[in-house]
Amino acid sequence: MIEVIKKGLETSVQDYPGRVGFLNQGFPPSGPMDSWSFRLANLLVGNDPNEGALECQFMGPSLKFETEHVIAICGADMQPKVDGQSIPLWESVLVKAGQVLELNFCLNGARSYIAFSGGINIPSWLNSKSTFHKAGVGGVEGHAIKEGQKIPLGKSHGDFGKKVKSDAIPEMSKSGLWEIEVVRGPNDDWLDENGYKTFLQAEWKLQARSDRTGFRLDGPQLTFMEKAMNKPPEHGYEPSNIIDQGYPIGGINLAGQTPIILVNDGPSMGGFIVPYTVPSASFWKLGQAKPSEKFKFIEISVEESQEMRSAQTELCTKGSII
Amino acid sequence: MSTEVLTSVPGNIWKVLVNVGDEVSEGDVLFIMEVMKSEVNHNAPVSGTVTEVNIQNDQEGVSPGTVAIVID
Repeated sequence: MIEVIKKGLETSVQDYPGRVGFLNQGFPPSGPMDSWSFRLANLLVGNDPNEGALECQFMGPSLKFETEHVIAICGADMQPKVDGQSIPLWESVLVKAGQVLELNFCLNGARSYIAFSGGINIPSWLNSKSTFHKAGVGGVEGHAIKEGQKIPLGKSHGDFGKKVKSDAIPEMSKSGLWEIEVVRGPNDDWLDENGYKTFLQAEWKLQARSDRTGFRLDGPQLTFMEKAMNKPPEHGYEPSNIIDQGYPIGGINLAGQTPIILVNDGPSMGGFIVPYTVPSASFWKLGQAKPSEKFKFIEISVEESQEMRSAQTELCTKGSII
Repeated sequence: MSTEVLTSVPGNIWKVLVNVGDEVSEGDVLFIMEVMKSEVNHNAPVSGTVTEVNIQNDQEGVSPGTVAIVID
């Protein structure tokens, strides 16, 4: 059991791959935004990589341990300390009963994952422990953790002193520019040639008004095909409007002239075009980008995105732990 | 002794509520940041006089750990 002393900024329980299979009923997958770091944290403490763990965003929590537990922290560096002593990232650590784990603001990256040996002992909802706070489901009472809450943990069985092989650790952007892979479509014939070119050439700035629902981007104006400019009224007024459709996870939704990447807690449908989609293997970069950092999009094929996902899945296995 | 108030999150400065010379009490909200569609209050850790304000309204892309306000 751990007690929440400070909640941090929307710290929530997530599991991997989240609540998959219910998008047709309006429930997004949720789950960790950087599932690469998340899975490694679980593997370090001897858990199944999919087990529930805490996602900390920008500013981490302080947690008091009522029982001894092996933990691991992966992802953004939020300067973790146990009773005031710094502890390493990407390594399993023993926290004794009565000790306080304290995370602060992020030095690099944006999201940090705390995995506990034995996992988080809460019930699943629609097959997942992931928090989807907009519907108040999953996680601890359906929302981000709150001060004073007690979170039940499973029985600790992990070893401390385990590390992640250095070549299995995702590398954060040092310059603040992230190269994000995209696959074209599903609406691949609404921008004109110049529009697609502009999209791929631009450096898009991540707005502070971005969260686990959508990542809003600032950048140049895009141009459209003739059919987007002259269409029947049921298609809507904006050139980027179409008759409502289902949205893919990672779809880059063009709301007027503002691209919004629909991420883990994103909507399932709507009436804007989606000229490109971010593949799942690139989501970890979205999860680690801070507001005002830049995205440059690189177009890849569906096959290449599948290869990236397989390679990442291979890294998120026991073979990466030493 | 002066106390530095650091930004706790990356994001935008939404509102600065104090000026140099203002007397503040421990717990007063000094400034509000915006990130993830949320307002993040930054409170005075001590009572005293504001001697420095290094941020302004609508400032974008502020890094966490920036010295925003100094209280003496």
